[in-house]
Amino acid sequence: MIKITNLEKYYKTEEVQTIALNKLSFEVKQGEFAAIMGPSGCGKSTLLNILGLLDDPDGGSYLFNGIEVAGYNERKRAQLRKHNIGFVFQSFNLIDELSVFENVELPLIYTGVKPAERKERVHAVLEKMQIMHRRKHFPQQLSGGQQQRVAVARAVVNNPKLILADEPTGNLDSSNGNEVMDLLTELNEAGTTIIMVTHSEHDAKFSHRIIRMLDGQKVTENVLV
Amino acid sequence: MIRNYIKIAFRSLKKQPFFTLINTLGLAIGMAGGLLIALYIYEELNHDNMFADADRIYRIETDIKFGGAEIKSAEAAPPMAGTLQTDFAEVENTVRFRTLGSNLLRSSDKTANIKELSTTYVDSTFFNMFGLELINGNTETALKETNTLVMTRTAAENHFGSVDVVGKSLLLNNKETYMVTGVMEDLPKNSFLGDYSIFMAMAGNVASRENIWGGNNYYTFVKLAPETRMDNFQLQLDGLLEKYVLPWAKKTFPGMTADSFAASGNYIKFHTIPLTDIHLYSDNQNEMGETGTIQNVYILSFIGFFLIFLACVNFMNLSTAHSLKRSKEVGIRKTLGSNRLQLIVQFLTESGLVAFASMIIAIVIAFIALPFFNDLAGRNISIPFTEPLFYVAILLITILLGLFSGSYPAFVISRFIPVDTLKGNGMKNSSKWNIRSMLVVFQFGVAVFLIVGTLVVFQQLEFIQNKDLGFDKEQVLVINDTYAAGKQLNVFKQDVLNLSAVKSATLSSFMPTPSSRSNSSYFRESAMDQEYAIQMQTWEVDDDYLNTLSLELIAGRDFNSQSAADSTAVIINESTLATLGLSAEEALGIRITEEVERENPEFYHVIGVIKDFHYESLRENIGSLGLFMKRSTGSMAIKLKTDDFASVIASIESIWIKRVPGQPFNYRFMDDAFETSYKEERRLGSIFIVFTSLSIFIACLGLFGLAAFNAQNRIKEIGVRKVLGASVSQITYGLTTDFLKLVAIATIIALPFGWYFMNIWLEDFSYRIQIGWEIMSFSAILVISIAIITVSYQSIKAALANPIKSLRTE
Repeated sequence: MIKITNLEKYYKTEEVQTIALNKLSFEVKQGEFAAIMGPSGCGKSTLLNILGLLDDPDGGSYLFNGIEVAGYNERKRAQLRKHNIGFVFQSFNLIDELSVFENVELPLIYTGVKPAERKERVHAVLEKMQIMHRRKHFPQQLSGGQQQRVAVARAVVNNPKLILADEPTGNLDSSNGNEVMDLLTELNEAGTTIIMVTHSEHDAKFSHRIIRMLDGQKVTENVLV
Repeated sequence: MIRNYIKIAFRSLKKQPFFTLINTLGLAIGMAGGLLIALYIYEELNHDNMFADADRIYRIETDIKFGGAEIKSAEAAPPMAGTLQTDFAEVENTVRFRTLGSNLLRSSDKTANIKELSTTYVDSTFFNMFGLELINGNTETALKETNTLVMTRTAAENHFGSVDVVGKSLLLNNKETYMVTGVMEDLPKNSFLGDYSIFMAMAGNVASRENIWGGNNYYTFVKLAPETRMDNFQLQLDGLLEKYVLPWAKKTFPGMTADSFAASGNYIKFHTIPLTDIHLYSDNQNEMGETGTIQNVYILSFIGFFLIFLACVNFMNLSTAHSLKRSKEVGIRKTLGSNRLQLIVQFLTESGLVAFASMIIAIVIAFIALPFFNDLAGRNISIPFTEPLFYVAILLITILLGLFSGSYPAFVISRFIPVDTLKGNGMKNSSKWNIRSMLVVFQFGVAVFLIVGTLVVFQQLEFIQNKDLGFDKEQVLVINDTYAAGKQLNVFKQDVLNLSAVKSATLSSFMPTPSSRSNSSYFRESAMDQEYAIQMQTWEVDDDYLNTLSLELIAGRDFNSQSAADSTAVIINESTLATLGLSAEEALGIRITEEVERENPEFYHVIGVIKDFHYESLRENIGSLGLFMKRSTGSMAIKLKTDDFASVIASIESIWIKRVPGQPFNYRFMDDAFETSYKEERRLGSIFIVFTSLSIFIACLGLFGLAAFNAQNRIKEIGVRKVLGASVSQITYGLTTDFLKLVAIATIIALPFGWYFMNIWLEDFSYRIQIGWEIMSFSAILVISIAIITVSYQSIKAALANPIKSLRTE
C-alpha cells in the first residue's frame, strides 16, 4: 500500500541545513500495523507528515497504492488525503468550539456526505467508540482518554484505508492508553492499515512490525507477528 | 525603570514594523482629522466673542405674520434702537446697521471703480459698542457727519495704497462724495462683520430717522447692563407693540385695535438673540454675513469624535492581535516575577510611544491638509502654534489617547496565565460576542451611517441641480452692477442684442437666484383691510424678462413696452393666485394696490399669470410674487444661443469697455449663482465624503488587524480542518463569513439610524428626495464589499498556510 524509496527531507534555517529524512526506504502492506520508533528528532513526525500527504519530500519516491504522489500539489494531496487517510494526534487536535458530534462530523462535511447520512455514520462510529452519550459535550468537558477516542472516531468516520497515529497515547494514562491501543487493534483487524509513531515499547507491541529510526535513517526492522 | 520600559517598548515596536506602522498611521490619521475638526468647532463656537462685552450684546429680531406671509427677520424698524435707548433703563448702548450690499467706489483722482462687496450704514456708536479702535481717525467723531465713512485697512490700501487716508474723499457709485474719517484694522473673519469693509455714517440715511414701525431694515444691536434679567427685558419688548407699533399702524388701518389685530391671526413679535449665538443659532432669512449652523457643528463633532474613537479602537484591536505573539514573553516575564501592574505599565508605555509618534505625524498631516480643509469647510482656520495652551492640550490629549487605546490590550495581555502562554495557549477563545466583535460592529456601524449620510447629501444636491425650477438658468449670463453704465445702459443693451450669439437680454435688479429681498403688502381693490393683505415680492422688470428667462405664462399676456397702460400692469405667479383664492382667468383684470392709506391709491391691474418658479433656495416654498414693468438697472441677464462662451463674453466686455469706460465688468452665469446658494450643503457633502472615507479606511485597518488576529487565534483549528480535508476556499469562506456577520449586524443596526437622522436633515428642504432602498442597499453592499476585500487577504493567507506548522507538537 505504501512504498517509499530514498525519501529525503531537509529543514533549512538561515545558516544551518538539517537533514530530517536521509534516503529512507520501506514498505507497508495493505492491512499491516506498523510502528515507527526512535528518539526525539530522528525524523518520525516528518515522516508521518509526508506519509499523510501534509508535507512534500525533497527527494525520493512515495508510492501510495502504486501511484507516485511525491510531486503532487496541495490540491491533489488534499483530495487523496480526505478520502484515504485518517489522523490521530498525540494532542488530539480536536476543535474546542465544536461538540463531539460536530468534530467527528467534520471529515464527512469535507468529503461532501449528505447530512442524513452524516448523522447516521457519526452515530455509528460514536457507538463503536462508546462515547455516544458524550456527543453533545465539548472537548474541554472530556477526559484525555475520551478526547482521544473522539479523535480516533473522527479519524475513522470516513472509512480511510490508512490511519496515521502520532503518539496516540502520549498524553494519556496507561489504562486510557490501552483502551486507545485496543481500538486501533480492532480497526486494524477490520482491515485498516495503521502506521503509528510511538515512544512506547508497550504500545509498539500491539503492532506487527517495528521500524526503528535514528537521524533520519532506518536502523532496524523487527517483525513481531 | 521607566527607561527600561521605553527601551523594551521601542524594541518590540521595531520587531513588528508592519503592525507598528498600521497602528501609528491609523491613529495619526484619526488624530489629524480630529484635530482639524476640533479647530473648526473651536472657531465656530467662538464666533463674535472677540468683541468687548460680547456677552452683553444682543440683537433685536422681529417675527411677523402679516398678509399670508410669515417672516423671521434679523432686522428691526428704524425707531427701535432709539426707543430702546430712551425707554429701557438697562440699555447702555445701541447701534444700527443698514446694509447696502456691494457698491462701486473710487478715489476722486481715479477713473476706475473698485467694487466693495459688503458696505453698510452704521450709527456712530459703532466703535464704542464693539470696543473697536481706529488706526487713523477719532472714534468719537468719525461717523457723526453725513457723507463720512470709515474703511478697513485692506480697503484703504486697495483704494489709496496707504492707511494714512483720513480726509481723502471717495466717490460712491459715481455719484456721491464721501470723506474718509477713519481707518480700522480688518475685522476678524470669524465675526459677523468679517466681510464688511466700508462703514458709512448713518446720518446720511434719511429713512433711519423716520418713525416707521412697519419696515424692518435695520440690524439693531443693544448692549445691556450687567446682570440684566432677560425675561424682564422680553416683557418690556412685548410692550412695544401696544405702545408704539399699533398706534403707528392705526394711521394706515384706522379701525385696527390690539384685539382685532390678534384676532386676524397676524402678529409682530420682538425678541433678542445673544450676539455670540447669531452665527450658529439664528435662522432668519436675512443675515448680515454668512452663518453656520449648530447642526453642522454637531455633525462634525460626531464625525471628529468617532474618527478618533475608531482610530483608538483600531489600536486596541491591532495591539491585542499583536499581543498573541507576545504571550510567551508575558509568560516568561510572569514566571520570572513580574507582577501585573508592571506588565500593564510596560504595555501602556508602548501605546504611549505610539500615541506620541502618531500625534507628531498627525500635526504634520493636519498642517499639510489645512489649506484643503479650509477650502472644504469654507473657513479660515490656522493651527495655533504660538499658543502655549495648544501644546498643553495636545500633550494631554496624547497621554489620554495613549492610555485609552493601550488600556484594553494591557489589561488583556497582563491577564495571561504563564503556564498556558508557555504552552502556546495564550488566549483561550472566549465567547463569540467579545469586546473586539462589538468594537468592529460599532466601527462599521459608524461607517455605514456616514455612507448613508454622504449618499443622501449628494442625492439631494443632485436633485436640486436637476429639478425643474420653472425657468431656464442655462446659458444665461448675468452682468452685475449695470447701473454703473448710467445713461449708456440702453445703448449697451442694444449693442449686446446686436451680437449674433445673443438671443435676448433683460434689465432688472431681480434675478431668480436667492438673495435678500423683502415683501410688501398689497390689497385687492375689493378688500382693502389689513386682514386681507397679500404679502408679495415686488420685482421690477422689463418686457424682455419672461422671454429671456423662459418663464411660462399660463394666462393673460406679457408686458408691452409700447403700451402706456402697462406701466400700471402686474404679472403675478401661481402662489399669488392661491393667496387671492382665484383661478388664473378670474385674476386677470383685478386691481391691487400697496397704498391702502391713501385717498387715491395707485392701482395695478393683473395682465398675466405665470407658472410658479423657484426664485429662492429649494429650502423655501415659493412665495407670492408680482412682476411690475419698471426701470430697474441693477443687472442685465443675457440669454445666449452659443456654447462658445469665451468669445461672446469677450465681445460683451469690449462693448462694455467702449460704452462704460472705467467701470468694472462683473459677470456670472446664472447657474453658477444658483450653485452658490447651496454652498453650505456642498461643503457638508464634501466634508462628509472626506471624513467618511477616512473612517472607512480606519475601520478597515482595524478589521484587517482583527482578521490577522483571528487567523492567528484559529491557526490550530484551521490546521485540523485542513488535515481533515477542508479546501482553501472552504476555510477562506469560514474565516471571512465570521467577520461579514459582524459587518452585516453593523449594517442592519446603522441603516435605520442613517435613515432617521438624514430625514431630519432633509426636513430643512421644502423640496427634497425620499431616502429610497437604493441608498440603503448601495450603502450595505459598499461596506460589505470593502469588508470582504479587507478580510480576505488574511483569510486566504491563513487558509494557504501549511497545517503541519500549526499542528507541530514537537
